[in-house]
Amino acid sequence: MRLLKSIVASAWMGWQREMEWTNPILSLFIKTVAPTAAVLSAAIVYWFGSSSAGLFTPERLAYIIVGASIYGQVAAYAYVPTSAIAEGKWSNLYPQVYITPTSSIPYLAGRCLASFADSAPVIVISLFVSYYVSSALFGAVPLIYFSFDSVVMLAGTLIVSLPAALALGYLLGSYSVFVSRFEWALPSYVSGLLMIFSEALFPANVLPYPFSLIPGVLPFTYLMRASRAALIYQSWSLYLTSMGYLALGGTLFLATGVIAFNLAEKLARKRGFIDKKVM
Amino acid sequence: MTTTVQARGVARSFHSKTSDVTALDGVDLDVDECEVFGVLGPNGAGKTTLIRILSTLLLPTSGHATILGFDVAKEVDKIRPIINMASGAERAGYEFISARGNLWFFSQLYGASKEDFEARVKSLSSRLELEKYIDKKVYELSTGYRQRMTIARAFINDPRVVFMDEPTIALDVMTARKIREFLVGEAKESKRTIFLATHNMAETEAICDRVAIIDRGRILVCETPENLKRIYGRPAHVVEIRPSPPSMSIFTSLPGIKGATSTLDEERGVATVKLVVEDEDAINRVNMALSNAGIRVLSSWRQEPTLEEVFVSLVGRGFAEREHEIAS
Amino acid sequence: MKLRLNLTLWYRTMYSRAWVRVRSTYGEPLWVAVNLAVPLLSSLAMALLYSSTGLSKFAGFAILGGVMLAFWGNVLWSMASQFNWDKEVGIFEIYLISPAPISAVLVGMSLGGILATVPSAALVTIIGWFFFPTPINPSWTVVLLTFVLTLASLYALGMLLSSLYLAYGREAESLNNAIGEAINLLSGLYFPAIGAGSPFPFAVQIVASLIPLTIGMDALRKAVFQTGNVSSVWFDLALLAVMAMVLLFLGDKALKALEERGRRQGTLVVRLK
Repeated sequence: MRLLKSIVASAWMGWQREMEWTNPILSLFIKTVAPTAAVLSAAIVYWFGSSSAGLFTPERLAYIIVGASIYGQVAAYAYVPTSAIAEGKWSNLYPQVYITPTSSIPYLAGRCLASFADSAPVIVISLFVSYYVSSALFGAVPLIYFSFDSVVMLAGTLIVSLPAALALGYLLGSYSVFVSRFEWALPSYVSGLLMIFSEALFPANVLPYPFSLIPGVLPFTYLMRASRAALIYQSWSLYLTSMGYLALGGTLFLATGVIAFNLAEKLARKRGFIDKKVM
Repeated sequence: MTTTVQARGVARSFHSKTSDVTALDGVDLDVDECEVFGVLGPNGAGKTTLIRILSTLLLPTSGHATILGFDVAKEVDKIRPIINMASGAERAGYEFISARGNLWFFSQLYGASKEDFEARVKSLSSRLELEKYIDKKVYELSTGYRQRMTIARAFINDPRVVFMDEPTIALDVMTARKIREFLVGEAKESKRTIFLATHNMAETEAICDRVAIIDRGRILVCETPENLKRIYGRPAHVVEIRPSPPSMSIFTSLPGIKGATSTLDEERGVATVKLVVEDEDAINRVNMALSNAGIRVLSSWRQEPTLEEVFVSLVGRGFAEREHEIAS
Repeated sequence: MKLRLNLTLWYRTMYSRAWVRVRSTYGEPLWVAVNLAVPLLSSLAMALLYSSTGLSKFAGFAILGGVMLAFWGNVLWSMASQFNWDKEVGIFEIYLISPAPISAVLVGMSLGGILATVPSAALVTIIGWFFFPTPINPSWTVVLLTFVLTLASLYALGMLLSSLYLAYGREAESLNNAIGEAINLLSGLYFPAIGAGSPFPFAVQIVASLIPLTIGMDALRKAVFQTGNVSSVWFDLALLAVMAMVLLFLGDKALKALEERGRRQGTLVVRLK
């Protein structure tokens, strides 16, 4: 019960921090601009390159729009644990949480969940806006299907990706616990590498061997595949296969993340990093 | 003696959608060179607002003030080269640069030549005992040495007037003492004016030549610490009682009690009440009131007047009570 | 005499502020690695995307975009929001009570920012060209001139933004995120946003042309990947020069107006206690 209360309270606090710094509607609007602009940039790059080569297809455009929108959410919650711990060290909140009975694992879980929740509407808005703007700009409708089934399937994908999201949070948190400066370094690299290696913008076979093998072991790749199965291909077999890999990979990833975070905190406590201020 | 800081009728109000606040309500003062001038008052009394106006960060709503004859509102270009400022609440400094690098940087904002800078930093780091740490990066410095660097920065341009806003807050005793010695030395030997805003009474008594007591934006009185105690200070009658009374009115309603302030030891459930009394009869009335209220007196003693008693006798409450009132 | 003193003070302030920025970066080499992440990985992702479209000759556009993203990121995060950080830690008020002109502080921040970003930009170029070698035939003089003017106008925009952000306080950080990506899109960091090949309607292109980065990217692509002579970019260069001067002027005016307003309203100094 205490664990659940801890997670809920942390999620509430994370929500306050993400959304309540100004009017929530304005906050949502501002949060949506950046990922939507990024999706459109990717879409235009594809259109410009492929049109010049005479190889433009609406299906591939849809592939990029869906992937870039989902990636926006992954990028958002990649930064949350760093911010939770780095800001928490600066304000003394993190050490205070650490010494509570439930300590920091439910706290990070709550913060990641809050970010997950507030980025879900962002994905939906990015998808819609990018779909309509692309149609207007390129004179071709991206092959994305917004039906009840596809939306439900997408929602299912996002929920099943939660363990992977939390796992990423804990792994990055393991790093953040130790840093007293340059706290944004690793999350920046991780989110950048995920853009390349999670099939956000292109399939794995675009990468040269052996880099093309990496997407196959990342749970986020299956998040992309399941999302595309829901919105573009409308294929239950592809959807369920991808969801299976996502669930399995996410769970294993989560276990790894929690173990790593626990070890990191133990070592940080020994070396005096828990309350070492981040500059 | 040259008057360096002068204020006449300085007032400042802040208007917002929800409230209007009068931070300063007609302040008059004159401060001379070679003087360590203290402005003493609780949080929210207007000390920082006064410093902000005098250091040209803020315009007064009415009244005028001058620094060495230059108007703070209209002649900022003439004032800024000759003043500087430091605060105990700031973390001013670029973390990845050494203390020396930071001091050099700030000296350049005043156009200091290389030779002037080298001479100043050598003198300041020696007097503030900063030499061993001067080449360390700021993030490596402890709070005490950071504050020494901050103080050094406030003197890097050889200013005529230096504004200090709680410079020793949160510092250990030794560092605080070092800084106070330094400030007195700078005032007397280098003929500067040190304008010190503080709510630390011990610090005020130790180093200030004159003290202006400020409350609710007004200067109540301005005198040397000794004169303040002599004229306004009353001996305090201190009682330790249990349980703590529900309100101070049990004391302040009694004739002969000028004011009261209290602290509570929650663990023991014991309140220590300091009463500024007019005469001995007042003490008897206090004992009677406590007895009637069923409050037990554990011990009592007499205390010679400090600046806190001066404040209490002028305002009727202590700093803590006044800060609580201002906050609510 | 007074003019000489003023110029000396201006120069010393500008030099010392640039020195602080450069020293902070080169004194901690990890900064280069930190600043490298986003421009390098974004440009590699876009270059791979171009490759996947079947026309990898445009991958060079992506690398060039990454190089400029390094500088643009520096403008947004180390210039535009710098004064807010300075305000939080108490440095901003020291600038204000000193005789140093704020314009000198801004120019110093710009120069220091450019010098501090050069290593990241160079690494993006080297790594990007290693993975995606693209044929180019530039006149390096024209490229350098275009590059310098683009940076000048970009950092002049940064000066204006730093003044405006003072009015917004901590909300500026969130605005920065939104503005950054929106400008990346409109200005065509990785693709032509104006002229031939632009996907945008004419009205949008007009708006995009008001952003220095748009003109700069267009000019740089012409200088690096096309004919590369002055005649193809002279109009863009003139436009960039005018933009730089106008933005500098506006930035200085905005800051003076904000300072005066701040002194009147008491909003110049806000610090967490």
